[in-house]
Amino acid sequence: MKKFIGYAAVLTASMMTGSAHAANWLMLQGTESSSSAPRAKVWGFIQPEFQSTSGTELAAGPWKGQDAAFNMIGPDLDSSDTFQIRRARIGVRGTGFGLDSGVNYFLLVEAGNNGITKLGGGGAVKATDASVTFNYIPHARFRVGLFKTPGSEEGLMAIHVFNYVNFTSMARQQLLERFLAEDGSRTGTDKEVTNAPVSAIGAFRDIGVQVFDTFKNGNWEHSYAAMVGNGNGIDWSDNDSNKDYYLYWASELVFGGKKARRQGWKMFAWYNDGTRTLEYVNGVAGKQEFDRKRWGFGTTYLKGKWRAAAEFTWADGMIFNGSDGGAVAGSLNNAGTSRASLNMLPEDKADGWYVDLGYKVMPQLELDVRYDILHRGTETDKGQRDFETWTLGAQWFFNKKARLIANYEIRSAEAPGWSSSAPPNKILDGMDDRFSVQILAIF
Amino acid sequence: MKIKMAWPCLLFLAALFLSAGAVAEPDNEDKPFAEKHVVLQISDPNPFKQTLVLNVANNLIKHYGQDKIDIEIVAFGPGLRLLLADNSNLSRIDGLSSQGVRFSACSNTIKAFTKKLGKEPKLNPHSTRVSAGVVRIMDLVDQGYTLIKP
Repeated sequence: MKKFIGYAAVLTASMMTGSAHAANWLMLQGTESSSSAPRAKVWGFIQPEFQSTSGTELAAGPWKGQDAAFNMIGPDLDSSDTFQIRRARIGVRGTGFGLDSGVNYFLLVEAGNNGITKLGGGGAVKATDASVTFNYIPHARFRVGLFKTPGSEEGLMAIHVFNYVNFTSMARQQLLERFLAEDGSRTGTDKEVTNAPVSAIGAFRDIGVQVFDTFKNGNWEHSYAAMVGNGNGIDWSDNDSNKDYYLYWASELVFGGKKARRQGWKMFAWYNDGTRTLEYVNGVAGKQEFDRKRWGFGTTYLKGKWRAAAEFTWADGMIFNGSDGGAVAGSLNNAGTSRASLNMLPEDKADGWYVDLGYKVMPQLELDVRYDILHRGTETDKGQRDFETWTLGAQWFFNKKARLIANYEIRSAEAPGWSSSAPPNKILDGMDDRFSVQILAIF
Repeated sequence: MKIKMAWPCLLFLAALFLSAGAVAEPDNEDKPFAEKHVVLQISDPNPFKQTLVLNVANNLIKHYGQDKIDIEIVAFGPGLRLLLADNSNLSRIDGLSSQGVRFSACSNTIKAFTKKLGKEPKLNPHSTRVSAGVVRIMDLVDQGYTLIKP
């Protein structure tokens, strides 16, 4: 015990050696440079893109011959190849009152075509960030409002420096939360059977209070964050009385540079615990509460021409389980007796990981490769689905503020608890590769 | 005879005084070998100007050499934020100060900040208070400094 207290004291002392204005996501998004930040800096970015698959239709099951949801381009799922404005965000951030660095703010709105503006009724323009940070207490900054939750690097990092067009399967399915009111077990042809999301996609964000800071010790930076939030994504208020809790720790060996492209080797771990309410579960109407836990750890590395990242993530409860038969949610089956719904496994589990490598072959060109895998619904053999993706990418940097990303995703999925000739595997065999090109322009 | 000798002496002294007044020679004890004397003005609220003024000072030192140039940065108005103790350019100011760059903070602006903040702002320890930033610049220009406002 004494030894433990000793280690804790040393760790605490090393943390107190000086607060740093470090370049990490917590600080970059939640704070401004002291006494040198503008009162109001207008900024934003636009991401036009083109995505395409072969549009292979469902090969088996009650929706055989219809569009496969996984081969359609989201969020609309109307086409297997489409141009769209994926993101169009504009915001303002600063200190408001320039003489006092104790308070800063961050406001950002989204007008692109994605789960933020399209799901749950959505809206043409929706706020994704609206927060105020108080920097008065040493080593304990408080951020209040709507902002990115401390968690997975893929979700926490600024999207305008994200190296790919699409997220990994784990992040897209299990971290990027869809807020469903039911588990999808309702049958019939009524519209509510679809079980469409009741609010916008979670966008890795929540409304709440976060305490955080970063400490510098030589070339090392240590960051922490603890947050309590509604657990209801970017919706303006909570939908129940349960709260989500978040914990985050990162330690980074800083090599040099600054801001989003700072060079360093970072290790991090995070935990998120919440409760969700469903109103219809296993064919029974009535409110039921379920735990939703997510946690993981990972590392990132950026030095010179090389870039690497790896993350391991686990999910327990509220496992997003795709749609019935792989069909686009809302479509009627061939017999006309049932509508495809979005599904949730409230008491199941999932896990996934990825490894990502990038190399700048010249200052303007970076080549990327990423492998990711998701094991979904791992509590039952018949319910498990595995998604494996190799993403080959290239980024062409026109300048510091504009780049083009081209990705080719080699995608495959299987139902390991079923034979290869069984309908689930026949359906998943039809998963196409996906090609995407995206332009990013920051202003 | 004594009076006759006194007149040329007085004339010589007067000429010396006038010539000294006409061409002021900056005299900085910390920079005895300085051949160039520059005063940099920062009075702008734009934070990019903070970086710019520090860059200019740094580039001047690089070009002329630390001992050959004498630089004073005078901050007043919104530009005084550069010399607040929590400014994020602290390490750069430390570095420039160690190379002999002087930083002057306008007392009038400090008073105005104090009024707005309800307390006196903490200044960078490398800064020296001057009664008024503009007056300081005028004095330095009179002494032969070149005024640059990046």
